[in-house]
Amino acid sequence: MPKGRALLRGIIIIFAVAMASFLVGSPAVFGVNTQPKAKSEIRADIIMLDSMKVFGKLERPAVTYLHQRHTEALAKKNKDCAGCHLSGNDPQTGKERMSTKYLRLKDTTKQEVMDIYHNNCIGCHKETKAAKEKSGPLECGECHQQQATVISSWQAIGMDKSLHYRHSKAMDNKCEKCHHEYNANTKKLFYAKGKEGTCRYCHRSQTEENRISLRHASHIACVECHREIHAKNETAGPFNCDGCHEPSQQKLIERVKDVPRMKLNQPDYVFVKTSAVDKEKANPLSRMKLVPFNHMAHEKYNDSCRVCHHADLSQCQQCHSIQGKKEGGGVTLQQAMHRPKVDQSCIGCHESQQNQPSCAGCHISFEKKQPQGTASCTNCHMVPKSQIIGVVQKDEEEMMAAQALGQRDAVTKTYSDADIPETVVINSLADKYEPVKLPHRKIVKTMVNKIKDNQLANFFHYEKGTVCQSCHHNSPAAKTPPKCISCHSKPFNAKDPFKPGLIAAYHRQCMECHKAMGIAKPVATDCTGCHQKK
Amino acid sequence: MSISRRKFLGWLGAASLGTSVGHKTARAASNKHFDGYPRSNGVLFDSTRCIGCRKCEEGCNKVNELPEPDRSFSDLSLLDAKRRTTAKAYTVVNRYNDAGQGRGPLYHKTQCNHCLEPACASVCFVSAFKKTATGAVTYDASVCVGCRYCMIACPFEIPAYEYDNAFTPKVMKCTMCFPRISKGLLPGCVEACPTEALTYGKREDLLRIGRERIRKFPDRYVDHIYGENEMGGTSWLYLSEVPFKEIGMREDLGVTPAPKLTSGALSAVPIVVGLWPVLLTGIYAINKRKEKIEKQEKEQAVAAAVEAAEAEAKANMKEALEFAEKQKEKAIEKAVSQALEEAAKAAEEEVSDTPAENADKKSSKEDS
Amino acid sequence: MSDEVATTGRSYLTPFNIIAGIIVVIGLYVTILRFTQGLGAVTNLSDYNPWGIWIGFDLLVGVALAAGGFVTSAAVYIFGMKKYHSAVRPAILTGFLGYAMVVVALNYDVGRPWRLPYPFIMQRGTTSLLFEVAACVALYLTVLFVEFSPAALEWLGLKKARNIIMKLTLLLTIFGVVLSTLHQSSLGALFMIAPSKLHPLWYSSYIPVFFFVSAVIAGLSMVIFESTLSHRYFADKMDEAHLKEKDDIALGFGKAASLVLAGYFIIKVIGISEGNNWHLLGTPFGIWYLVELIGFVALPCFFYAIGVREKNLKIIKWTATWTVLGIVLNRLNVGLVAFNWHLPSSERYFPHWMEIAISVFLVTAGLIVFRFIATRMPIMYTHKDYPEDH
Repeated sequence: MPKGRALLRGIIIIFAVAMASFLVGSPAVFGVNTQPKAKSEIRADIIMLDSMKVFGKLERPAVTYLHQRHTEALAKKNKDCAGCHLSGNDPQTGKERMSTKYLRLKDTTKQEVMDIYHNNCIGCHKETKAAKEKSGPLECGECHQQQATVISSWQAIGMDKSLHYRHSKAMDNKCEKCHHEYNANTKKLFYAKGKEGTCRYCHRSQTEENRISLRHASHIACVECHREIHAKNETAGPFNCDGCHEPSQQKLIERVKDVPRMKLNQPDYVFVKTSAVDKEKANPLSRMKLVPFNHMAHEKYNDSCRVCHHADLSQCQQCHSIQGKKEGGGVTLQQAMHRPKVDQSCIGCHESQQNQPSCAGCHISFEKKQPQGTASCTNCHMVPKSQIIGVVQKDEEEMMAAQALGQRDAVTKTYSDADIPETVVINSLADKYEPVKLPHRKIVKTMVNKIKDNQLANFFHYEKGTVCQSCHHNSPAAKTPPKCISCHSKPFNAKDPFKPGLIAAYHRQCMECHKAMGIAKPVATDCTGCHQKK
Repeated sequence: MSISRRKFLGWLGAASLGTSVGHKTARAASNKHFDGYPRSNGVLFDSTRCIGCRKCEEGCNKVNELPEPDRSFSDLSLLDAKRRTTAKAYTVVNRYNDAGQGRGPLYHKTQCNHCLEPACASVCFVSAFKKTATGAVTYDASVCVGCRYCMIACPFEIPAYEYDNAFTPKVMKCTMCFPRISKGLLPGCVEACPTEALTYGKREDLLRIGRERIRKFPDRYVDHIYGENEMGGTSWLYLSEVPFKEIGMREDLGVTPAPKLTSGALSAVPIVVGLWPVLLTGIYAINKRKEKIEKQEKEQAVAAAVEAAEAEAKANMKEALEFAEKQKEKAIEKAVSQALEEAAKAAEEEVSDTPAENADKKSSKEDS
Repeated sequence: MSDEVATTGRSYLTPFNIIAGIIVVIGLYVTILRFTQGLGAVTNLSDYNPWGIWIGFDLLVGVALAAGGFVTSAAVYIFGMKKYHSAVRPAILTGFLGYAMVVVALNYDVGRPWRLPYPFIMQRGTTSLLFEVAACVALYLTVLFVEFSPAALEWLGLKKARNIIMKLTLLLTIFGVVLSTLHQSSLGALFMIAPSKLHPLWYSSYIPVFFFVSAVIAGLSMVIFESTLSHRYFADKMDEAHLKEKDDIALGFGKAASLVLAGYFIIKVIGISEGNNWHLLGTPFGIWYLVELIGFVALPCFFYAIGVREKNLKIIKWTATWTVLGIVLNRLNVGLVAFNWHLPSSERYFPHWMEIAISVFLVTAGLIVFRFIATRMPIMYTHKDYPEDH
């Protein structure tokens, strides 16, 4: 028996050790999610250091680097950007330019770059720690985090009309201070007057050959300039991360209400062209009626030019020909003008405007949405080709376009009060509830009132019966449009599966409009709000 | 027992006939897929249209003559808590406040989904549940024993039980208003809904309607009709604005119909019945044979041992007898020679002695 | 022991009798409540938890622990291991009373117990594994009853009947093994219908095999367990053969149990692998699963092996109790702990005291009947009229 007892003891010990090690190690082994101990910080200055990517697949996760924390900490020690960022001669401008890379101008070899990071980062952290100050991490995993312990609140910022105006005023309208073009032959930057566009036309999200990324470009251009001005003790823009990218700080940026129109020789009124060939300026290639376009008004409606001029400040048909071109990514002119859901297309932008609460009630009730009938084309395609054959002068063209648009009465029209019933009694299904006394005229007038200042609405609602068609739908605009019961009856007709029955038609008509417009009363679930109980 | 050949073949035939005329064969590994009875009905629930008014619950309650609830159906504060179907409520509506991402609360109506291959019907050992041709899964309280296996089986956790009923407890679940739809009427909840969030029709049509709604308004719907394939397909279909699990529906149920989950195990039953007796009898027979052989060998060994012992004994005996014989002869020889010696000695003495003494001595010698 | 009551000169007020008596009284009271006021009055069952301990313990555990019957009779009559012969009748009795208790518990649990014969006489649902369980349990209870009856017949002196039945022994044994295989595995297979409700570590397409193999283990261990208790309390009823063979039975069954436990451990690990559930072992449920698997399967396997090798009966007996507890744990895990694991704790089930009272009552009743039979009928000894003739 003593042999057995010893064996027993041995087994119990092994088992206990195994269980203990298993229980302790299991989260790591089985990848159970370990929550970060501290509550996640929310910061706008997170930069993921993954520049080693150029040397191949990353061995460790990218480093979560907090830029502003470092600049603030180093500022306390009177160290500025030059402490981490080297400056070198920029061949393209001939000037000294600070590199956005860390302590190097170029990526040399994998080992060298890694050493730069490790030796300097960790070295500085060690020094700070030795000086008994709050320091950064020293362990591999604390920088190369598997799971981030900070949440990014970084928000992009762009130059919109207001900011641009403020900048040009501060620069005394000297566009050359910021705008440049690139000469591929001389490999130098130069200023081309009249060709100023947004940085994004050339600088993309990734750095390409001879073209730095938008991120680099904007930081070099904006931050450096702001720093210089600040050094001269003048008011300047922000040059820390938060000032531009932190949402709450973005809200503090001053907005100019009425930005004067930018002067870039753009037309006030113009006909939308269908061909890029100059000769056909007034003799368009297509046979459809021409679309006069109020360029001046549209400048007011958008925050920047690049909403429509998304790749270039030139006219649309330069890249979007009727058949589609490589420059336009194969997108045909028709698609460019009509594609829904994209802001740079006419229809797309107009449709997104329909989502506003005052419009949504009629326009968002999706079940009733029909594809635009052919009659609506003429809302834009107004001017027959014959009328402008022979017109070649720009200002003559402008005058004609202005005239054509002026002929449209941009007012939301509807019938006179006498023609709009004041109250409509809906008693078709009154069994459990009393008939509904619908304040018909009040509803119509309220809706018209809400949109009377909206130019887009006014332009399209120029026919009297148009606004009626939101409720009196699937029928032509008329003074006496059909009642609901004309078309809606019993539900679940297999031959007409998409037409709701009368009850649902009534209820959804009102309820969905109220919901889309954000109307709190009457609540959809409050039956007696609309009809009393019997 | 001895049976005639005829009888044996007769039994064999009867047995095979019996197995082929099956009642409901459990298909273990077949490619058959049940798409529902043709032209069977269903209901499409569109959660984008539901406003959470609970009129469907009221309609169901009235049509099925269920007891009045403690709080009236117009009390919408009940939606603050999550509810499930109970013995008194075939259907409940639940509100999900955070699902809409700022679009306001979303609602989901729970009731029996009338699966194409219902788990409850598969597991009921008295076939109390039937999938009817109308699409409704009905419950027959007249045979129900109350084992509640259906409640275990239902992946949607729908059937409820009348635990408080001592003598006639029933399983309670939505019937798709089977009596009403058989008459061409609408189910109670569908009729009561003011916004037609519930659409009643043929399941095939409902699938088309659902797909069309998704196609026309891709921003408004998640591109999936829940119930098209879940658990092999259900007759109650759902459309939603947000991922279904955000409105309380399980997305991890898979597409395997419930009966297929157990048909494998069931199909093993006849194999066991067929093979086990053979195996066990075989083992028994082998064992018996082994025992018999052991016994035989033992007997043989014993017999051989006995024989050997006997033979040995005989040989010993013979040897002993021969030896005894030899001894006896020797003894006789010795006695004879001794006698002769003594006779000779006596004769010599007689020559010296009187003849009469010789004669006495002789006679005494002869006597000895 | 103060009262001398019976003419036999033996007091009836033993501690066991007193406690059993109290349990029986409470049990009868709860029984009346159950059948007059319904399930809701005496259980904590809910719509989320339709099966409580009357199924999880009384049915699942009861059937598993009653498996000693078929295991022992198979060992003796089919595999020809004659030296365990004295264990057969006690095992059959345990099995018979176990299944009887299961059927009684079922009458408590189903909503309309008088309808229990319906699957056979009214309408059958043959797609249901429960039908298969019901049919096999009903048949097996009959088999066990017939296998047990010779003891009663001997006691009653009905020689002819007894002899006829004894001739059926082999047939009954084979039938018993077939039926046991079927219903032991099907009880596990019942849960295969609900993969969305059973924790993935316990849910597997191998559940039927797991349940069958663990039933064999339970049977083997219960025989040792029951033999230990019987030898403590009924030793005066035992004949020489029983007393002599006791140690061999413990050693032999212990060896078998060790082997089967090892096999069970291996197939359970294969089950984890088949489901690719390794990562779940680090979760709380996973730890609990490992407690069950290592603490109540792997360790008993070791200890059985040690006990057998050292011929240490004490170790074997304790390991038998331990293994029985492990089987109880496994059935409760499958039926109550891992089932509905996804529900919030407010919806989880814990038995009502009345449910526990009934379960205890049924086990106590079983023990009382066991004692009655074992002390009167030739279970632990061979009847003088029927000397060993096989």
